[in-house]
Amino acid sequence: MIKRSLRIGWVTAWAAVQAAVAAEPIVITAQMPITGRFAFGGRHLDQGLTDYLTYVNEQGGVNGTPIEYHFEDTGYDLRRAVATFKKQMAKHHPVMNYGESTGQGKALAPEINDRYRVVYGSTSFSRELSDRHHYPYMFVSGPTYDQQFGILLKYIAAHPKANDRPPRVAFFYSDTEFGRDPIPAARAQAEAFGIQVVTEVITPVGAIDTTSQVLELRRHRPDYCIFQGYVVPPIPSVIRGARDFGLDTTFMGTFWTMSNMLLDQLGPDGEGFMGVNPYAYWHDQDVPMIQIIRDFNRRHHPDVDHRPNYYMQGWFTGMVFVKLAELCQAEGLPVTGENLKDMIPRIHEWDTQGFAGTVSFRQSNASPVGRVYVARDGKFMPASDWMYLNE
Amino acid sequence: MRIGHFKETYTADEAVFQSGFVRSALVLLFLGLAGFPFVAGPYWLYLANHAAIAITAAVGLNILTGFAGQISLGHAAFVGIGAYTAAILSSRWGWPILVCLPVSGFTAAVCGLVVGAPSMRMKGLYLCITTLAAQMIFEFLFVRAEPLTNGIRGINVPPAEVFGLVLDTEGKLYFVTIPVMMAAVTAGRNLFRTRVGRAWVAIRDRDISAELMGINLFRYKLLAFAVSSFYAGVAGCLYAHLYKVVTPEHFPLHESVRYLAMIIIGGLGSVLGAIYGAIFMTLVPELLQWILGRFQQAHPAIMQDLFPLQTVVFGALIVAFLVFEPHGLAEMWRRLKDAFRLWPFHRE
Repeated sequence: MIKRSLRIGWVTAWAAVQAAVAAEPIVITAQMPITGRFAFGGRHLDQGLTDYLTYVNEQGGVNGTPIEYHFEDTGYDLRRAVATFKKQMAKHHPVMNYGESTGQGKALAPEINDRYRVVYGSTSFSRELSDRHHYPYMFVSGPTYDQQFGILLKYIAAHPKANDRPPRVAFFYSDTEFGRDPIPAARAQAEAFGIQVVTEVITPVGAIDTTSQVLELRRHRPDYCIFQGYVVPPIPSVIRGARDFGLDTTFMGTFWTMSNMLLDQLGPDGEGFMGVNPYAYWHDQDVPMIQIIRDFNRRHHPDVDHRPNYYMQGWFTGMVFVKLAELCQAEGLPVTGENLKDMIPRIHEWDTQGFAGTVSFRQSNASPVGRVYVARDGKFMPASDWMYLNE
Repeated sequence: MRIGHFKETYTADEAVFQSGFVRSALVLLFLGLAGFPFVAGPYWLYLANHAAIAITAAVGLNILTGFAGQISLGHAAFVGIGAYTAAILSSRWGWPILVCLPVSGFTAAVCGLVVGAPSMRMKGLYLCITTLAAQMIFEFLFVRAEPLTNGIRGINVPPAEVFGLVLDTEGKLYFVTIPVMMAAVTAGRNLFRTRVGRAWVAIRDRDISAELMGINLFRYKLLAFAVSSFYAGVAGCLYAHLYKVVTPEHFPLHESVRYLAMIIIGGLGSVLGAIYGAIFMTLVPELLQWILGRFQQAHPAIMQDLFPLQTVVFGALIVAFLVFEPHGLAEMWRRLKDAFRLWPFHRE
C-alpha cells in the first residue's frame, strides 16, 4: 500500500511539476460512487479514469498540457453528488467532469447548460443523456442501452435458431429506470429486425424468488432472453431455473451484467451466456490499447492481475476527455467547456486501437458501437466483430 | 448569575421567546441568514437550501410522530406527492412557486387524510405497517401513473419564478426556502400552544385518557396526518425546484427512514429537535467528506479505501448520540445551555 501510495504520489508530484513549468493544466473533476450500492463498479470506474489520466500525463500530457484530476466519493446519493459537483466547480473550476449517475446528469443539466458549461461524462448509458439538443454538454461513454439492445437484436437477427420462423426473444428487466430505459426502443428495433418479442418479464428490484418469472419463460420458450437493469441477482437463479425446466434459451445481458462477478456466481451454468460490451476485455488478445493498459498496470499496480469492464469504462471516458482536448488544441481553441462541447460531434471515425471499435459521436452524443461476447471457460470471448448500428 | 425569569403577566409567561438574550440571539440569527447568500458560494447555498427543505419535512414528521405519537414510514412518499404536484403544475402550466407551495401542501394533506384513516382502528406498529404500505403504493403510482408522472423518466422542472423573477440559482431560491422553512417552524412551534397541539400530546401520552377528556381521537389523529403531510408536500415543492427534476427514485423507503432518523436524533416531540436532526443528517456527511478531503491531498492513493469509512463513522456517531443522549440533540443543547447558565454551580 505504501509503495503504491509513493508511486502515485510521485506521479501526482510529477504532474504538478509539469503543471508548474508548462501551460495551465486541464482540470477534470469526478463525483464517484465509491461507496453505496454502486460501489461494486465505482472503485473500478475511478481507478480506470485515474489510470488513463496518469498515463496521459506520463506521455507528456495533452500536447504538453498536463491534466489535473480531482475526485470525491458520493455514496451514490443524488444529494451528495449534486453538492460535491457544486463544491468542486467552485474549488477547482474544471472544464470536464465525470458524474455518478443518470439522475445527477438530469438534475444538473439546466445548470450545466446555462451556468457551469462543463463537459460531462458519467456512469450513465441512458438514451436521454445522449440527446444533444437537450444535453449538449453530456456524452455517453459508448452505446446507450437502446443501442446495446439494438446491437444484440442485430446479432440475433443474423443468428436465428430456426430458419422457418422469426427469432423469438424475451425481455427480462427490473422495475427501475435502469431496467425500463431501453425497452420502448427495443420493441421498435425488434420489429424492424423481424424479431418476435414473445414476452416481457418485469421484476422488482432485488427480487430473489423468480419461480413465476421462469415459468413465464417456459410458457413462451424464447430463443433468446435479454436481461436489463441487473448486475448479478436474479440472473443466476433465472438461468438455473430455466436449465432445470430444460429450456435451451440463450441468455444475454448489457454492459453492467457483462463482468466476471456474474460468471463467478454462475459457475458452469454461465457457459454460453452472451452479451454486449462496448470495450475490449482485459484478457482480449491482440488489442493494442489493452496491451497499454496491462503494461501500465504492471508498472503501477503490480499486484493486479485482472481489471473488470467497469475499469475499462473509466479508461474509455478518460480517452474521450483527452480526445476532446486534443481536438480543441488542433483547432487552436482554448480548452474551455464551451469549446470542448462543440468538439463532441467532431469525434468521427476515431480509431481507439481496438479498445472500442471505431468511435463516432456524429449522430448523437453516444457511440453506437459494441461487440457481442460469449462466456467460455469463465471468460467472455468475442462472438462477433465490432458491430455498428445505423449501418 | 441568572437563575430564572421573573414574569409579572400571563402574556409574558406564554411568550415563545422568554428573555431578551434569546430575542437578541434570534435577531442575530435572522441577520446571519439574510446575509448568508451574499458571502457564501454555490456549494454552501445548496447545502443551506437542502437543510431548509429537510427541516421543513422533519418538523412535519415530528408533529405526527413526536407530538401525536403516530409512527409513519411513509413520509418520503408525501414529500414525493408534493414534489410531483409542483413539478406537474410548473412544467405543464407554468404555475409560479408561490402558488405551487400551498397546492403541493394541500395535495399531500389530502393523501395524508386517506393514509391516516386506518389510525381509527390501529396504533403503534400496526399503524406503522399501514404507512409502510402507503409508501409502497405511492412509489408504485409514481412509476405507473405515466400520463401524470412521466414514469421512470420523471419530470424536468423549470426554474421557480416569483413575480417574474427567475430563481435559477441556489442563491436566489434561498430567499424562498429559508422564509418557508422559518414559517413552517414558527407555525409548528405555535401549534403546540393551541388546543389542537395539546390534544395531540394528550393522545400521544395516553389515548384512552385523552378520549375521556373529550378529545375526538380519530379527528385529531387524522388532523395530525394532514398537517404532517402538508409540511411534507411543501418540502416536496421546494425539493422539486431545487433539483429541477423529479423521478420515482428520489422518494424511496430509506428516505422515509432517514426522516425518522432525523427526528429521533434531534429529539422526538421537539421542534428544535427536528431542526437539529435535519441539520445533523445533512451536514455531518459533508463534514466527514471535508475531513477526508484534507487527507486526500496528502494520500491520494489510499482514498478509495478510506472513503467507505465515512459511512461507518456516520453510523457510529448516530449510535453514540443515541446511547449517550436518548432524548436527542435538543436535550443535549438544553443541558449545555443550563451548564453555561448555572456555571460554576451546575452539576450533572
